[in-house]
Amino acid sequence: MCSMSQGDGAAIQAVLAGDREAFGELVKRHSRMLFRLAFRMTGNEADADDVVQDAFLRAYQKLATFESRADFGTWIYRIAVHCALDRLERRKQDQARQVSEDYDPEDGGVQVADSKPDPERLAISMEIADLQQAAMRGLTAMERTAFVLRHVEERSTEEIAAALDVTPNTAKQSVYRAVQKVRRRLTQLKVMA
Amino acid sequence: MKHYTEEELVERYYGSGRSATDDRHLDECEQCSAAFAALEIDLAAMRPVETPEKSEHYGEQMWARVQAAMPSRTLREAPKSRLALWRGLAFAAGCGVLITVSFYGGRMYEHLQQRPVLDAHRRAPDPVPQQKVVVVVLGDHLDRSERLLVELKHADPSNPELVNPLTEEARGLLAANRIFRDDAQREGDPALTQVLSHLDKVLTEISNRPAGLDAAALDQIRNEMNADGLLFEVRVLRSKNPHRNKAVRVAARGGAA
Repeated sequence: MCSMSQGDGAAIQAVLAGDREAFGELVKRHSRMLFRLAFRMTGNEADADDVVQDAFLRAYQKLATFESRADFGTWIYRIAVHCALDRLERRKQDQARQVSEDYDPEDGGVQVADSKPDPERLAISMEIADLQQAAMRGLTAMERTAFVLRHVEERSTEEIAAALDVTPNTAKQSVYRAVQKVRRRLTQLKVMA
Repeated sequence: MKHYTEEELVERYYGSGRSATDDRHLDECEQCSAAFAALEIDLAAMRPVETPEKSEHYGEQMWARVQAAMPSRTLREAPKSRLALWRGLAFAAGCGVLITVSFYGGRMYEHLQQRPVLDAHRRAPDPVPQQKVVVVVLGDHLDRSERLLVELKHADPSNPELVNPLTEEARGLLAANRIFRDDAQREGDPALTQVLSHLDKVLTEISNRPAGLDAAALDQIRNEMNADGLLFEVRVLRSKNPHRNKAVRVAARGGAA
């Protein structure tokens, strides 16, 4: 997935030998790559920053289990995918608590952004990013992650399966369900506009 | 003629499962060709949004954030082999036996030598034990609580060396947390009271597990944290609370001074 830097191995050995500062080298080297991934998955800059931080903290705690032959970039990428997945799930739970009316994707209605309660105005002024956010709102955290990894990050089914710790068939099904839901939502949004 | 399903078209769109026969069918079949074109249009609308460009100092900024939240202990490399693990365990067991034998031997010797002195002491009133008192600042308390919650969130239950210190840390925070909570309640600060009450619940939950934190216990505590967004609330309080310099005195071994 990512190219392994020669310096990663040395930094990891130094951290494991007790040099905490060496971990900073890994953070500085991989932060921007992880931010891009996290932003694409969460669609939110603040959340993406938190995901990057969580990913490095998790990596630090598990560094002793990291296989030295493996690629640190690939490893931290997978950890970041999981962190983003956790955040998306938590966000979903928070939204479910905050929004009083439940949205059922099967009932043909359209869920709109909380800050813009008028659906017609929303549809008219919708920019690409808003459109995409609206189209992806009905996806589960797993579907959203699988879709972003496939459609935006252009990862193969096998890579998505490895990143999400699922079978390739599950990864493929998640992408398919995501595409189905996104298309259905796009159709609804087009009708509204 | 067998037409493509939507799932097959999605697979084709992403470049898997292509063959010359499939390509020919797509060229010849009007229905499948139209369905594929519609799919392409829909998915083109989902093209990647531009990611905000981070400055070249982003890595350093992130390192500052990570460093502030990192656990204080340094990492140690996992034992390379099972043999090394067994050697370590055998050494630890040997040390344990030696310490136990020395301890009981010493106690028995003292008991035999000092019995008359102890009898005399028993008649005298016990002196009041000296309790060590520490001063805890609310801001520091919230920092430590946040670190504990972050570590708890990422703790690997299979590694007792990482998990067991969390119980000790939670016990250390409990006394101060209760004093801060009671003060906040007295002073009519409902936001602070609510967060500290919730924190108290989680700290008590962690502290009252003498057997340590196994996977099930960790899951239960994490669920509770997640359900109420405790970590988020503590972070908000830490950064925004006007009373973060408030200090209380706490007995070093639990209870208020």
